[in-house]
Amino acid sequence: MTTEPRYSVMSPETGIRRSKSKPPPFIREPMPSKPDFASRLDTLENKTIYMVDIGFGGGYNFMLQLEKWFNDNMPSVTTVVRRKPGMVFMDDQNELWEEAKEKGDAVVLGVAG
Amino acid sequence: MESVAKGDQRGASLPYIFTPHPVIGLAPEILDGFIVGSDPDTGKPVIEEIIDTLTKPVTGRESTPEPAKAKAAAAPQPLLEPDTEDNLQRLFYERGWTEGLPIILPTEERVKRMLAATSASPDDVVGEFFHMDVGEMVEYTVRHVAVVAVMAGARPEYFPVILAVASTGMSSLSPSTTAFASMLLVNGPIRNEIGMNSGLGAFSAVNQANSVIGRAWTLMSICWGYAEPKKTLWSSQGSPLTYNNMCVAENEERSVWTPFHVDKGFKADESAISIFHGWGMINSPGAASHRTLDEELSLEFGVIVPLHSAATIVIDPEIARDLKEDRGFATKQDYCKYLSENIKIPAGQYWKTDYIDMLVASEAYKGVEPYASWKKLPDDELIAPFHIPENINIVVVGGGVSPLWKATDYRHGVSVSVDKWRA
Repeated sequence: MTTEPRYSVMSPETGIRRSKSKPPPFIREPMPSKPDFASRLDTLENKTIYMVDIGFGGGYNFMLQLEKWFNDNMPSVTTVVRRKPGMVFMDDQNELWEEAKEKGDAVVLGVAG
Repeated sequence: MESVAKGDQRGASLPYIFTPHPVIGLAPEILDGFIVGSDPDTGKPVIEEIIDTLTKPVTGRESTPEPAKAKAAAAPQPLLEPDTEDNLQRLFYERGWTEGLPIILPTEERVKRMLAATSASPDDVVGEFFHMDVGEMVEYTVRHVAVVAVMAGARPEYFPVILAVASTGMSSLSPSTTAFASMLLVNGPIRNEIGMNSGLGAFSAVNQANSVIGRAWTLMSICWGYAEPKKTLWSSQGSPLTYNNMCVAENEERSVWTPFHVDKGFKADESAISIFHGWGMINSPGAASHRTLDEELSLEFGVIVPLHSAATIVIDPEIARDLKEDRGFATKQDYCKYLSENIKIPAGQYWKTDYIDMLVASEAYKGVEPYASWKKLPDDELIAPFHIPENINIVVVGGGVSPLWKATDYRHGVSVSVDKWRA
């Protein structure tokens, strides 16, 4: 027996109907072609590193162990482990970034799970 | 995870460093090993990469590939080449259009019969979704949904319900690493017109309409691209509930309370579907002869802790009757208010629930009440996590054989009309 079925026409193989709508907010954010990074440090000696957990499960404990590594191996480095205060999936709060700029020399941002 | 991070153009030039995954729940010594161990993406020690990244020029990762637009630009080919039944079944599965169970092949004739069951035109746009492969919003029409309905095994009379589900644009599958599940509830006259089961064994695999309509939602979600491993499918274990998404009708005839769709603003003689999403469900093992239902629910919601006070409790008609006639809860809302005031769990138990910590703690830090106050409490202080009784949903389903219930942390997503899609 043979048959001629239709495609599932929601698939790319079958051609698609593009919408004029914009993608959802989490996709729509502008994509920086060249992020504006802070200048790199010559050395970490005697510097302050913020270790920021975004709030996803497991990140804070990882940052505590990273802090421990610096305490054990590079004791001149001051470490500040913090949890990002805003919503876990959004960059919605600036206070911590401002604090890190003012009091810190570098940031390690952790995403766990 | 590496491929996701590098595949997102917003973060393409960020200096990512990876450890083995997962990280959550591991002992400190294991995390120490991750720090001095190798980045699985580069093979270099993680700690060296961290130090280098902070002290040497940032180069970022390799540029990311563009979405597969070329693939999408291919000319539409609405019909497949004729082939054998077995080969076509295999083809649909291998192209990622099904969950693997046999489908009804969507021939032109079958799709045409499906389309005759709605007053909507085949080319009417039902909705749109973000297509991961092409990186754009994509429209889908009544014809597209008809193809999926045929594949799922739907009778034409089910089609208005399936179109209503499609019109929400909500997927039954989630790209989360957790195990989300969904529930699809049908209310109004169409339940009986198409032979849905709301009574004995309503959630069991015994009713064609319940089975097929729920499956159609999953096939639709698969065709929207929500089942591509390590792209849109990340749940470590997944959920067996996604096979038909707990598709069920409410037993309005035996319920002593208003139907769910009426609670959401529809008229009783309208037909509507309602969608729910969540993680946890406790299938009650039987009667509450030693504890009241409220005491049982209090224990259960200490395990599946409500997020933003959301829960959906599916109860047998006998329980609803008892709550109204013997205990005096004239309306569902009265009982929800009672639950809101009387279900209590320790604050520590609340905050140590991972998804509560992830999704609610930020509100506590911002001063949003009651979370800010709860955050300051000792671990053993009791809180009432259902602080918004309106977020508790009660649905009546079952045959009245035994006082069963299902306690879920599902939140109500949306309710939409079925009637606009009828022939």
